[in-house]
Amino acid sequence: MTDSLLAVRGLSKHFISGNETVPVIEKLSFTLGQGQSLALTGRSGSGKSTLLNLLCGLEWPDTGTIVMQEQVFDAGRARGRGTTEAWSALRRQHIGVVFQEANLMPALSLLDNVRFRARLAGRDPKNSEDWLTRLDISELAGRYPDQVSGGQRQRAALAMVFAMEPALILADEPTGSLDRHTSDEVIRELFSLQVRYGCSLVLATHDAELADSCQHHLDLGHLSGV
Amino acid sequence: MTGIRSLYQRFCRTLLLPWALLSHYRRHPWQLAALAVMILVATMLWTGVSHLTSQARASLDQSEQAVAERQQVVRHDGQALRTDDFVSLRLAGVCVMPWLEVTPEAGNRLIGIDPLAARCFGDGAEAPGSWEQPLDGRPFVDIHAAATTDGIRESQLSLLVSDTTRAEALPPAYQLRRFSAGPDTGELGDSFLLNLEALGILVLLIAALLLRSVYLLGLTQRRNSFALLHRFGVSPDRVQRWLMLETFVLALICVVPGVWLGRWLAAGLGSGFGEALDNLFDIPLYAGQGQSWLTPALVMLAVVKVASLGDWLWLRFRQRLFVPAPVWAGVAAMLLLAGLVLAWLGPSLFWVFAAVALVFAGVGWLTPVAVARLAHWQAFRSEAPLVRWRYRELAVLVRRLTLPLVALQFALAMVLAVQALVTTFEDTFDHWLEQRLAAAYYIDVPAGSDSDEVANWLAGQQTETPGMEWHRVVRGHADFVDAGKADGQQVDVYALAPVSSLVRGWEFLEATARPWEHLAAGEGALINEQLARREEVGAGRTIQLDFGGQSLTLPVVGVYPDYGRPVGEVLLNADSLPDQFTPRSESYAITPGVPGIGPVVEAFHQIWGVQSLPMRDSDTVRELATGVFDQTFALTRAMTLLTLVLAASSLLMMGWVFFSARAWYFRLLEVWGMPKPQVAAQLVRLSLMLTGGIAVLALPLGIWLTWVLVHRINPLAFGWSLPMAVYPVFWLELGLLSLIIGLSIAVLMRRQLGRPGVAPVSANTLAGGER
Repeated sequence: MTDSLLAVRGLSKHFISGNETVPVIEKLSFTLGQGQSLALTGRSGSGKSTLLNLLCGLEWPDTGTIVMQEQVFDAGRARGRGTTEAWSALRRQHIGVVFQEANLMPALSLLDNVRFRARLAGRDPKNSEDWLTRLDISELAGRYPDQVSGGQRQRAALAMVFAMEPALILADEPTGSLDRHTSDEVIRELFSLQVRYGCSLVLATHDAELADSCQHHLDLGHLSGV
Repeated sequence: MTGIRSLYQRFCRTLLLPWALLSHYRRHPWQLAALAVMILVATMLWTGVSHLTSQARASLDQSEQAVAERQQVVRHDGQALRTDDFVSLRLAGVCVMPWLEVTPEAGNRLIGIDPLAARCFGDGAEAPGSWEQPLDGRPFVDIHAAATTDGIRESQLSLLVSDTTRAEALPPAYQLRRFSAGPDTGELGDSFLLNLEALGILVLLIAALLLRSVYLLGLTQRRNSFALLHRFGVSPDRVQRWLMLETFVLALICVVPGVWLGRWLAAGLGSGFGEALDNLFDIPLYAGQGQSWLTPALVMLAVVKVASLGDWLWLRFRQRLFVPAPVWAGVAAMLLLAGLVLAWLGPSLFWVFAAVALVFAGVGWLTPVAVARLAHWQAFRSEAPLVRWRYRELAVLVRRLTLPLVALQFALAMVLAVQALVTTFEDTFDHWLEQRLAAAYYIDVPAGSDSDEVANWLAGQQTETPGMEWHRVVRGHADFVDAGKADGQQVDVYALAPVSSLVRGWEFLEATARPWEHLAAGEGALINEQLARREEVGAGRTIQLDFGGQSLTLPVVGVYPDYGRPVGEVLLNADSLPDQFTPRSESYAITPGVPGIGPVVEAFHQIWGVQSLPMRDSDTVRELATGVFDQTFALTRAMTLLTLVLAASSLLMMGWVFFSARAWYFRLLEVWGMPKPQVAAQLVRLSLMLTGGIAVLALPLGIWLTWVLVHRINPLAFGWSLPMAVYPVFWLELGLLSLIIGLSIAVLMRRQLGRPGVAPVSANTLAGGER
């Protein structure tokens, strides 16, 4: 698969709880092409957030391989400084992560947050205001995160992610704390921008309807090796 | 049965709320331990200082009361009194009472009196009520108990007579002399106590700040639990009442051992403190005095309550009186300005201390506001988002850690000032001792011996012995006559003959031209700084001294520094002393020159016909003089350093916990792809900026406090001033200490970041989402 952005092979992850080993992800394999979207569903504790953390290098698998933008991360090899730095560089420049909440630095205004993220990714921070305009929150640019609503905060988080021009967006229940109407608006913006700018998306969600909007669907509650 | 069940259910329901509230400490036992330790240590520190202060105050009062207006009997031949003397005087019908002061190796001074002998005082015109009290060791004990005290280092027996006793009533071998355990210290004793009390208040203030910071931290972490209880229908007032009870019980549990430890600390430090008091004011620290258990316990309970409920009280006050933030800043600036002016112009010690309090209040209020504003301004100026973020984070931290930061600033300033004062004193005192102890040997003239014969021998020897220098020192008292006052103030007389080169190296605070020549010619007098300040006399002015009815008027030719004593002193040429002057003691200062001290000692033995000579070399005298201050200053340094450690620990703990609440945002930097070492570097820079900035801000406050101690408080309290000196190396040491605290916070925080489970939900629940 030449245009694949992300390939996962035989990925497993377990946690230790007391004396017990709890498997969270077992022998998971899939690929995701550029510009494609994948929904991760499953009950609480099924490993959605863990998988997202593995896909951006915040956690390390027990077994398996992740190939991201042709860089191979093999769990069999020792987790050295070079690997950590490689993941950091990927997150800095190519992987945008959106959490359910607290995606913004509270001490910075919305505009400064977007600039900060863009500068960190090595992009021109001058475009930050445009991103706020595109997400319809330009009039809130000077406000701080605690001065705007939850929906507006998530829009600002999307602005931050798109300002870094990512190849892959990992969204962990990005609308979980929003009401239905706001949630729909934010998700609409997310899909629209993802399609327009051709980046891939992995979306963890409980919402079956939302999962159906993605091109691919992975139910972590019912699989063991795909 | 139903009634019992209902009662039981009600009881369970009542306990449900405290159980829910206390469950926080089940999850955070270290927080409870920290709060308990804070209360314990703060109580210990304050009880220690205040116990010593009250003990000193009681001793001063006791001394004044016990020895006021008394007189004693002494032998004409100057020999020490013995039991035979008591018998002779009683047989002659004189009402005398033995007064035995003993200083044990360990513990404070005791006074032994004979209650039977004291009875005859009761029949006199004046009732010496001071020793009619029970002999319970406060400080009086039965004379037998005093005499048999373990490890007596020093003892002095006096025979006191009532004031109505006339000299004619005494047998021929005795004379009357005023009895005084020490000179009249006037306001100096009170001033000394005021100094101690100020230190105690500062310790209390820092302790209260620390308690408050730890308590607030607990409240912040429990905010969600309170909100949940509120949603369950528990009123905020009810929660508040239980919290009040919780802090009260905790304070009660910790205050009692704290008071006990404080008294133990005071007992441990008592002997060194007593020596300082004795040396500075000639007032002993008597055993068994000081405040009761109740006062420190109640004060600390009140402090804990105010420190923990300050917010609640403040909110109620603010609800009634809304004042905008700039107005508060203006009030703080006014306080600061008023304090600075008052410290400069304050006419008495009370006003200078009030000024210090105002300046500290103003600085403590303004510092966090100023630093936060500066950080915002720096953020505004910066184009780089990362720098902007760092400065904004700094502003948040300063606001959230206001109390421990201000406590650290105060503690640093105090340590800096005390260190500068102590080091300056030590340096100055050493230099001063070098000048004073220019002679190699000091030989006291034994009571009843002829001093003139020795002087003649030395004068003859000097012409034949190369390098030999000597002078005779005559000490006594005179009354300083002030035209404006009815009673003259007693001053020490320090008379020299001849005015040898051994003293001519002294430095003066002010002097006329060729002062030593004027002194040698008997045409002038030198006075010490204490007398100059108290009587407002300087070089060129004329003073009048009264020696038992015979007066002497001389111009002041110089003012010399004189450290560590409260009394005024006049240095004269011994040849100018009038006939009625009664020497208290005489001695010789001798540098023997090439043949050494041997021939001198031999000649003195022969002339005086004594077996042993009371002789000391200059090193022994120097050791004695510096030893007392070393102990005093060790105590002062220990107290201030302990306060600093307390403040530093509080900031470390608060910084760590608050940073932990902020951990998610540092984790976010990692999520955004910032390499871990860079995130760690941001942490380090931020915490170093925080603690380093506070150290920098403590510097001007510390220098100002040094100036106040040296130039305002010391002259007002002790009568002598010190040169103002600064010690930049010590500044660097303190700066380094602050940076170590900052680094420690960063290291702890980095460990926190390394742990799994730093989740975004923690960001707001722990009140870490402030901006």
